[in-house]
Amino acid sequence: MPGALDGVRILDLSWGIAGPLGVLLLAEQGADVIKVEPPGGDPFRAYDGYRVWNRSRRSLTVDLKSDTGGEVFERLLATADVVVESFRPDVMEQLGFGYDTVHAAHPRVVYLSCPAYPDGHRYAQRPGYDALVQASSGQMWEQPGWRPGPVFLHMPMPSMGAFFLISTGVLTALIAREATGRGQHVTTSLFAGAMLYTTQIWQHVEKATAQFHELMGKSYPPGIHQTMIFECADGWVHASIMSGLTPTKSQDAILGLADAPDPFAFMALPPDEREQFNARRREKFKEWKRDDIVAAFQEHNHAIEAIITPDEQFAHPQLIANQMVQTVVDPIVGETTQIGTPLHMFGTPTAIQGPQPTPGQHNEEIMKELGL
Amino acid sequence: MTLALEGVRLLDFGQYLAGPFGPMILGDLGAEVIKIEPVTGDGMRLASKPFFGCQRGKRDIALNVKDPRGLAIALELVGTADVVHHNMTAGVATKLGIDYAACKQVKPDIVYCNTWAYGLEGPLARFGGLDPLYQASSGLEHESAAVHEGNTPLYYRFGMCDASNAMLSVVAVLGALYHRKRTGEGQEVWTSLFDGGAIFTSDAHLVGGTPAPRPHLDKDLMGMSATYRLYRTQDEEWICIAAVTDDEFVALCTALGVPEILDDVRFRTSPARREHRRQLESVLEPRFRTKTATFWTRTLDDAGVPNEVPVDTLGGEAPLFDADNVELGLVARYTHPVFGDMRQFGELIGFSETPGRIAGPPPLVGQDTRAVLRELGHEDPEIDALIADGVCYEPDDHYSERFVN
Repeated sequence: MPGALDGVRILDLSWGIAGPLGVLLLAEQGADVIKVEPPGGDPFRAYDGYRVWNRSRRSLTVDLKSDTGGEVFERLLATADVVVESFRPDVMEQLGFGYDTVHAAHPRVVYLSCPAYPDGHRYAQRPGYDALVQASSGQMWEQPGWRPGPVFLHMPMPSMGAFFLISTGVLTALIAREATGRGQHVTTSLFAGAMLYTTQIWQHVEKATAQFHELMGKSYPPGIHQTMIFECADGWVHASIMSGLTPTKSQDAILGLADAPDPFAFMALPPDEREQFNARRREKFKEWKRDDIVAAFQEHNHAIEAIITPDEQFAHPQLIANQMVQTVVDPIVGETTQIGTPLHMFGTPTAIQGPQPTPGQHNEEIMKELGL
Repeated sequence: MTLALEGVRLLDFGQYLAGPFGPMILGDLGAEVIKIEPVTGDGMRLASKPFFGCQRGKRDIALNVKDPRGLAIALELVGTADVVHHNMTAGVATKLGIDYAACKQVKPDIVYCNTWAYGLEGPLARFGGLDPLYQASSGLEHESAAVHEGNTPLYYRFGMCDASNAMLSVVAVLGALYHRKRTGEGQEVWTSLFDGGAIFTSDAHLVGGTPAPRPHLDKDLMGMSATYRLYRTQDEEWICIAAVTDDEFVALCTALGVPEILDDVRFRTSPARREHRRQLESVLEPRFRTKTATFWTRTLDDAGVPNEVPVDTLGGEAPLFDADNVELGLVARYTHPVFGDMRQFGELIGFSETPGRIAGPPPLVGQDTRAVLRELGHEDPEIDALIADGVCYEPDDHYSERFVN
């Protein structure tokens, strides 16, 4: 069965995280993605994890600054539906492939730009590494840690928001093209990606109640969910009060704390009383092995997860059940285990289209297709 | 100009966050989103802030779908819709009579999306769950706190697994709508919080069964390497640097007044700098301590070293009043009949030909009940009876005591 984007050709000029991963969600819906990168390859290839974000596409190396390279790209544009680029504003113009030029010659092309900052913003020409956008957007200050002050987010959160905006923007413009017959300039940024994840905590409300500010406010130690993290004999778990199921035995009874309040009454207690109970719970958790308490809680319909390392995910039975543990034979390092495609579509199945290409791996094939 | 998703009608049967956030984003892109809300209100209304964060711009019909008359109205609506979207746990939609099979019967080309907690099948498929569980299962909580350094795990307060599930559903629904435009076929799609967490650590992978290298945070949560991290400055402020290339490293050492370390073989290449991270940091840390953050950002800018002074958002409101953010449409502003002027992030994607829009504030419970029922052809006496019988609800004199927290 063909994917939803069968027959859609995407030229991916992006580097970093957001562009390659945003394109990945389109590639694995069946789009024909050609990674257009400079001779020698996209500099981010040095990072190991890139072989996941860069998979499911072909690679063409071309020097866009040279005349012959420009001609090849021009030929490629004539076959394309989508262009994705993530340079600073003006870089594509300097190469002679800015939106206006491309749109004039190829009006059906959807052209997506994802610089670090929006064009027109006072930050627009500032360097755009993910960590710097964490700093400038305020995300570092929003996250409490184990010391006062801003915290470096291990998760590259601006990029991890922007990639969704890229996939969303391209698909929306492709849908619009069905009605208008025309492509357009779609713009987003890492900065916008950072804002995507502020929706539950960044709001101004003129007539807000006191509870409004307290509930999701930044606090030390960090907020309400942090109190549900427990150390076991051999690791950590995150318990939760909501599983959507009816418990067959209370968490505290499983732990051996018969006199504890029910979970909702517990959450309503004043912080110091909550802490008193939690101190007792913490002692009980330490008597359990991590995987044993997870199994015991789940058996009685309580939501809980072991706090694992990212590499341990591949053994998680639910990740396996979701067909999200996949073997990919990489052209350089050989057999790898990677996550699958998190889009589950019955009518237009998604799938990994292949490993990351080596730089220029498909030069000959693509040049032949172009008649060059 | 037409909206990109002009003419797309989406029914949002979801509650809480991971369901409703996706329809909100699709609404921003031009879809008409109708929230089908229980007459007792979305469970998330108890906590206004996260609720508001996922609901703007929707129309709202309050309907008891468990009542046969309510179900009939829901299915009438499905007959007029392009997308059905929700985050009910396993079996609930089937029990209510609004699963894919039921919806497909009244609308053969419907796009049907369920945003699960875990997934369609598998050992935990029957469970619901909240965002932090998936920060645990994906490894985020382990990495966020540098647990390998002996720290307690730390959850991120952004709720981004909720948002990730929702955004996956947006991408899946848009893919399905594109396919429907080209073929006329609808389909069923699903996403999950669990997978939404996993994509955030998707650079993690095994090579021949062994974990590939990934960078980790230090014990003080300052950063990933000596040249990609926060430093403390003389005035007890902070600066984040990203001296990633060799040229940027040379510029950094020169600007900090320690050009002599460029001759040190331990710091000559990027891999060498990673290997001798602590040694390099012990040179750089005291240098940053000699001057203010403002001094360093100006100096590093002049030297071509990427850097930023972290912005304090003052409780998350400062960015919503930032002149550039407002000017560029990154801030949405609207007025709520009860809560007054509101701000939230705005349009995060720009479209040169088919722009999006923010259709309005988060809805009141049942604010469009009567209008939607009239559009379906129901007349006022019948609507009044449905409301009197508790099958539907529209705001009345007791609204505030029932729904405002």
